[in-house]
Amino acid sequence: MKELVAELQKVIDKAAKLIREMQARSPEEASNTEQGAAEVGGDIDQLKSRLAEAETDLQETTDRMVEVEHQRGRLMSLYVATCELHETLDLDEVKRTVGEIAIELLGADSFALLLRQGETDGYEVAVSRRTVGVADGLFVGPDYTGGDPMVDEALVDGVLRTTTEEGSHALAVVPLAIKGTILGALVILKLLDHKASLTSEDRDLLDLLAAHAASALFAAQLFVATDRKLRTLEDLVEVVRGG
Amino acid sequence: MQPKKVLVVDDSKLIHKMFEVMLRSYALVHAMDGREGLERLHEHPDIDLILLDINMPSMNGFEFLEEVKRSEAFTEVPVIIVSTEGKDQDTVRGLQAGAAAYIKKPFRNEEILKLIERLPPMASD
Repeated sequence: MKELVAELQKVIDKAAKLIREMQARSPEEASNTEQGAAEVGGDIDQLKSRLAEAETDLQETTDRMVEVEHQRGRLMSLYVATCELHETLDLDEVKRTVGEIAIELLGADSFALLLRQGETDGYEVAVSRRTVGVADGLFVGPDYTGGDPMVDEALVDGVLRTTTEEGSHALAVVPLAIKGTILGALVILKLLDHKASLTSEDRDLLDLLAAHAASALFAAQLFVATDRKLRTLEDLVEVVRGG
Repeated sequence: MQPKKVLVVDDSKLIHKMFEVMLRSYALVHAMDGREGLERLHEHPDIDLILLDINMPSMNGFEFLEEVKRSEAFTEVPVIIVSTEGKDQDTVRGLQAGAAAYIKKPFRNEEILKLIERLPPMASD
């Protein structure tokens, strides 16, 4: 681009010089100079065309850079979300992180995180936000006993749903499954007012949640159970020693 | 203006982590609510940008902003509000209270980065 501009400047200088020469010369000499000027005119047209091409290339490069920046930002969000989910074995922290991802990164105004209660078929509302007065109170807690068809189906087949179904209050249901076992689901009930709908990029985040939130929650639950067993054993050892 | 030290006031750990990754070239100071934000600000008087949430326990973003703008030492420090609160009245309130910009969550990372790059220079610069 800079080279083109420099070349254009040279042609302009050449044209200016020719005009000065034309003004200073006799009619015969002027005729030769006119011929030179016509050549310069041709050069200018050629350069204009190359300049237009260069401008188009520049615009395309700028657009690509903007897109790359955007993709970089999106990947950064996914990276941070993943790191946060796996950063701790504290079950409450993992639940809180799932909630933060729903609010801060997805723009959920109302949601519920359902978690399977031990080995039973029941689900507790582990984390929720603004569920009172929404979805007929199904997700107010402390338990979710069924009633929303989209959620109930997702808790059985483990399929991520992002399109509202008839009779359901959910905008999206993210089943949290690990090795075929469904641990629970994140139910998005309403988005923030300034967020019109879930985008294809949000879908990536929901996919990430489906995979990583499940394993993070599973690891934390396992840690809690193991820790509890360890403490019981330690207490037993103490009792035996004391006795 | 290229800020060197940025104070992040937000009750979400996720957002703190996000800014840490986004703003690698800046020194970040973290606070989980407005009250802690004021403490950090006095501990680090060289802070030259504040990224501020609104909904926080123990002093919300608006209260924090009013305190900052009342203080002679920090009134020039630009504040960018980054909040899930998206009502027009919140935006107006934030800008009228002296915020340099109001960004709604969820935000695009490049939106914040561009905004930071375009901040007008502070009087002390």
